[in-house]
Amino acid sequence: MVGPCPECGSSNVVEDDLYSQKQWVCEDCGSLVSEGVFTTTLSDEQHSRTVPYYESTETSKKPCPNLIKGLIRVRALCRILRVPGDMESGAVSLFERAYGNPAFLQVRLQKKEVLGGACILLICRQNNRPVTMGTISNLLEVELAFVGVVYQDLIKALNIEPSTATSLINMLESYCYGYKLSPGEVAEVFAETPRRLVERSTALAELAADTWLVTGRQPLPLLMACVYVAWQSLKPMGRMKVSLNKFCVIGGLGKEVCGARKDTAHKRVVELRDVLCKLGKELPWLRGDTVEPGTVAKLVDDILKHRQALHLKAMRHYEEELQLQFGDQLASSDSSAPATSKAGDKSEPDPSPQSELSPSESKLKGRSQNLSTVNTTEVGGEPPAGELHWGKRHLFLPPSVRPDKQRRVDPPVPAVTGDEEISDSEIETYIRSPEEIRKYLTVQQKLKEDGD
Amino acid sequence: MEQNNSLPPFPQSLSSPQGAMTPGMPIFSPMMPYGTGLTPQPVQNTNSLSLLEEQQMQQQQQQQQQASQQQGGIVGTSGQTPQLYHSQAVSTTTVLPGNTPLYTTTPLTPMTPITPATPASESSGIVPQLQNIVSTVNLGCKLDLKTIALRARNAEYNPKRFAAVIMRIREPRTTALIFSSGKMVCTGAKSEEQSRLAARKYARVVQKLGFPAKFLDFKIQNMVGSCDVKFPIRLEGLVLTHQQFSSYEPELFPGLIYRMIKPRIVLLIFVSGKVVLTGAKVRGEIYEAFENIYPILKGFRKTT
Repeated sequence: MVGPCPECGSSNVVEDDLYSQKQWVCEDCGSLVSEGVFTTTLSDEQHSRTVPYYESTETSKKPCPNLIKGLIRVRALCRILRVPGDMESGAVSLFERAYGNPAFLQVRLQKKEVLGGACILLICRQNNRPVTMGTISNLLEVELAFVGVVYQDLIKALNIEPSTATSLINMLESYCYGYKLSPGEVAEVFAETPRRLVERSTALAELAADTWLVTGRQPLPLLMACVYVAWQSLKPMGRMKVSLNKFCVIGGLGKEVCGARKDTAHKRVVELRDVLCKLGKELPWLRGDTVEPGTVAKLVDDILKHRQALHLKAMRHYEEELQLQFGDQLASSDSSAPATSKAGDKSEPDPSPQSELSPSESKLKGRSQNLSTVNTTEVGGEPPAGELHWGKRHLFLPPSVRPDKQRRVDPPVPAVTGDEEISDSEIETYIRSPEEIRKYLTVQQKLKEDGD
Repeated sequence: MEQNNSLPPFPQSLSSPQGAMTPGMPIFSPMMPYGTGLTPQPVQNTNSLSLLEEQQMQQQQQQQQQASQQQGGIVGTSGQTPQLYHSQAVSTTTVLPGNTPLYTTTPLTPMTPITPATPASESSGIVPQLQNIVSTVNLGCKLDLKTIALRARNAEYNPKRFAAVIMRIREPRTTALIFSSGKMVCTGAKSEEQSRLAARKYARVVQKLGFPAKFLDFKIQNMVGSCDVKFPIRLEGLVLTHQQFSSYEPELFPGLIYRMIKPRIVLLIFVSGKVVLTGAKVRGEIYEAFENIYPILKGFRKTT
């Protein structure tokens, strides 16, 4: 303690630090009695080293407000999607890592907002939890394509190996639980337990996957179609007349969700019913009657029970029909085509050794005879006129293959060497005459005047 | 590139039976001395032969042994040992009665198959067709885009939208982007030669418009090809087994994006069996990439 204040003589001298400088100040008159040194060591003092600002008044770096908001958003999304705790913390740490990555430091705010969703998507995929990009885009109210872009940037920036999207079947269960069809909420006719719905929809989804309806398609409309057809088939008497739109309203999804008549979900329903009709036709107790898409809901139960057998039967009948219809055409190529078609169509283990032999056999025959519907030397894959399109040989095809579509034939272009002579007359046709230029300029002038 | 899938022509005199894929010993070969009235005579008459002839005989015997191995050891109908009638047929110095060679080529030319009939890895037989070629060239002088847009019929120029003149010609049907620096990008051609010809035509047009245009550093930057494998493909299976190369997001794009490392080509594979290949600098890369992917796709050919 220093002595009394020299000004007023009071002994009420207190220590009052200013910045990092110790000072003794008299409380009564406020005068400075003595002060300490700024620097800590004598050597510093002697060499008068300046103390940089960040060392003296440095505050610890606080996270930027956008990062804080982003973390809150990530946690909220995890809670909405009912993501377990460990995955939530994984998503949070991933978001922090990604936020600091140079690829995401200077992007627009919107992208940073979507980044949180993309992190959750990545974590869920790695842990095999079904979350679609469509869900994320709906929750964040952005476009699906934008979510995709951010997701792919995230994978590239953090060098993570992309994991595949979960299959349709995995998504089905959580999707079914989204429908409010418990007995208390809807009429008795429409009520359905989630478990039965999941079971039936899973079987339908597997059937759709087997018959090429799933590959390459958006999953959500397909899920909707599977659930709808399953729900109808569980109580066909009361539910057959209910349309897809009405079903969405009943299930509490809202009218706009499934969209207009021509939209994707309706198309998927049509395709699914088409497949069911093809299989339903083979049911032995129908004795060959045609099955209408409108009433196939009654038969879905039986069809799903005997799916494999019906599939085989349907394919065999189709092949026989093809033989009858196009017998001449196929006969002309010396039975090379039916051999390959048989090999191509059968996927079961029994005929598979047969399928190993016949393609090579038929290829040899095709080469020697120079005529084959399975063309060996084709440029661009055009079947010669009058031959069977390869798609017609399959009963179940991906809908994007259209055997009836006419292939565009470009006129043959003469072969060029690239160093030919270029005629002046041809080049003249691309250059305006002075007359034209004058006309063009006058018109432009007039337009400008009119515009002003 | 001409497609040449036929076997090379055999020497005229030798007839190959229909359907025989491995060129073996033709049945009706002039080498077989049927009906020529030749009687097997031992050529080696050790006492009378000179040293030179002896050497020739030895050479011929060696060749015969090689040839008989290649030809599967088909012996003449008369039951002669290969050596004897071969030597008769080959002999040029010893003149035997009635032995006029009915062919011009040496019969002991090994008939090695040049295109094997059934190679170890069977080629697909499908050739991808080129759909688009992008090339660049430097015209070597600064250009006034306003003048070009004014004086050329086939040009459009909207500086607010894009800082280049868009010019089109009819033959070959292509589009070019011409920049004020003198650089030009030519797109839409279906072959390398067409792209080159088109670029030269654009350069000629620019020349005629009064600029000292040259034709420097023509380079093909990208080639796009497409083809159809003619069977549906299970994309979900493909992405599981080739995870490190494939990216399949049905919510974003219906096709699978396969990034092949060697050659460095990106393939878009669709469920309908159509394949698009892009990123090539030379035609061979597209063909090579397709030949690499075809056996993989065949593995996922789960037909219904």
